[in-house]
Amino acid sequence: MIANEETLRHLMIKAQGGDRQCYTSLLTECEKWLRRYYARKINPAEVDDLVQETLISLHRKRASYDPTKAFLPWLAAIGRYRWIDGLRKIYRHEHGELNEELVADPQDEDVTAKVSLERLLGMIPDKQADVIAMVKIEGLSIAEAAAKTGQSESLVKVNIHRGLKKMSALIESE
Amino acid sequence: MSEVANSLINDLVDDLAPVRTLKPSGGMAVAAILTIAACSGVAFFMGVRGDLAMGMAHEMFFLRSGVLLMLGIATAFAAANMARPGVGNLNRGWIWALVTAGLFPLTAIAMSMVNGAPIEALRPAEGMKCLTISGLSALAIGGGLTAWLRQGAPTSPERAGWLVGIASGALGAAAYNIYCPFNDIYYIGLWFTLPVLVSAIVGRIVVPRLIRW
Repeated sequence: MIANEETLRHLMIKAQGGDRQCYTSLLTECEKWLRRYYARKINPAEVDDLVQETLISLHRKRASYDPTKAFLPWLAAIGRYRWIDGLRKIYRHEHGELNEELVADPQDEDVTAKVSLERLLGMIPDKQADVIAMVKIEGLSIAEAAAKTGQSESLVKVNIHRGLKKMSALIESE
Repeated sequence: MSEVANSLINDLVDDLAPVRTLKPSGGMAVAAILTIAACSGVAFFMGVRGDLAMGMAHEMFFLRSGVLLMLGIATAFAAANMARPGVGNLNRGWIWALVTAGLFPLTAIAMSMVNGAPIEALRPAEGMKCLTISGLSALAIGGGLTAWLRQGAPTSPERAGWLVGIASGALGAAAYNIYCPFNDIYYIGLWFTLPVLVSAIVGRIVVPRLIRW
């Protein structure tokens, strides 16, 4: 069970004031939330690293949270930024098994639907989203993605590049 | 939770110190102070245009000042707002200020198509001075805004670069504007547009490297 939006917001406000106990609870809850947020949206072997990088970003950029606003959209913006950064770094890795425990999206469904990675992927053209999912998330090679989609290898690369660029401009879009 | 994640959380908690939340008003204050400093520098080293000094400035001066300030304030606010990310936070109001500012060069182009190329009105020597002083002012304003933005978490460094560039170019040109004695649309359309354009391009190229996180 992950804490709800209001609890997370309260913990973050306390953490900005230097309360270590609240910060421990907040980071623990965020770790769980991010793990589910990234599930099936990146190669499973990369999830641990990505969650940790996002927690470090949360820590470094905690002054940028506006305490008058909801917490999850802020965390999601940081999460999306780190995710796209992570996708850019991935070329071909060992493709791990998807962890079925983690396939569900985080709770707080209304908020989560608006901030989800699925929605961000849905904002770019299908031909770009498809090859990003195949190569960057499922771990297919460029040649395999080209054969599967009927695009040439260079077009797959171009579409990945364009899709990531477009998504990075849309991080704060709902 | 894995041991590594646990240990990371412990390290981050150990490192916790109270922080003051970042507010866009901080970025706006930096831009305002540097713009006032640039205006003071222009007034001190170059002087103030004659009609303004006499308290009877030409109407074009007010129009030009208003448009440049509006563009500078709208884009500086959008840039400062980017320091605090959040899905659903997109601020696009600055686009209208940019469209309004575009009326000056568009009018100049339309007028020159009707009346012929206004070579004399362009005054290249004075124009280069305008570009240089506006550019130097923009550099100072953009530098301050970028340094402030580095504390935040802009999720689109490229867009932030454009915005910082446009804001500092417009505010830098607004500073030079208090000296510039020329009122014709051709001169304004070219020499007050160029600093904004050049500054926007420089901002797009330089700022993202400095604010990426």
